Amino acid sequence: MIWIAIVGSAVATYLTRSLPFALTARPALPAAAARYFEALPVAIIAALVGPAVLAPGGALTHGAEPLAAAIVVAIVAWRRSLLAGVIAGVAAVALLRLL
Amino acid sequence: MGTVIVVGTTFGVVARQAGLEPIEIAAMSLLVFAGAAQFAMVGLFAEGAATPLIIVTVLFLNLRHLLMAASLRPQLMRLSLGRRLLAAFVLTDESFAMATSYFRRGGTSLAYYLTFAVALFVLWNLSTLAGIALGSTIGEPRRFGVDFAITATFTGIVVLAVKRPADMAVALIAAGLAGALALAGLSTIAVIVAGALAPVLAIFARR
Repeated sequence: MIWIAIVGSAVATYLTRSLPFALTARPALPAAAARYFEALPVAIIAALVGPAVLAPGGALTHGAEPLAAAIVVAIVAWRRSLLAGVIAGVAAVALLRLL
Repeated sequence: MGTVIVVGTTFGVVARQAGLEPIEIAAMSLLVFAGAAQFAMVGLFAEGAATPLIIVTVLFLNLRHLLMAASLRPQLMRLSLGRRLLAAFVLTDESFAMATSYFRRGGTSLAYYLTFAVALFVLWNLSTLAGIALGSTIGEPRRFGVDFAITATFTGIVVLAVKRPADMAVALIAAGLAGALALAGLSTIAVIVAGALAPVLAIFARR
């Protein structure tokens, strides 16, 4: 099942990359649709964060994850560095779980 | 380039810690070659999400490539169809950003873009392998908080991507709605529903 998901995802990804190059006619996209597609990746990634922070394991948490996520937001907004944020977040979760 | 190595290594570590086999992780970097989508896949595999749902989520996550490819089209149409289809395979956020600024400065060499894009592909796969090796040596991921690395990476990507107030509103609504759906027991469809609904707000937002 994992292999079907990997190959299917590869095909889906390649289609999004190659369609505009394969077609001969230039696709015209309405401005509203362009704005929607521009916002889509951020929305999906944020949607992945929501459950992982609010409900890791399926139940409401008031534990380590929300606090660590807030630390990641602060560090990345301040340093503009993804790596610094990830290291701080992982360290924060490890420490908070010890408490 | 440095970012690609760091994120690629992180991906290898995180995927290994999530229980995926080295061959599966290597295949994802080789065939899918899309950072955010690959992290999302690992998260969905860990949750036991259905295969069609994983593929649809990846499709939505990568729809932005349609816009990037359409924008590079005038330059790349000079290539033969075969080379164009090869160039499409290595189109990423990074190579698109580089190509856009290069062509805007008056550059015309497509070999320059292709070399850069293929180099990113090679680096991404090498650093994934390094991450797999590294991830296999760390025991008990929860104790070290390594399981939180995916969430931290996603959170950081969102923070870096938010440029306007409307972006922040879209991100907060998507995260909140997905979290609420997951709490309501709908965790398998939470990501795709919240992720597809929240950007509707961007259509009506003032630039």
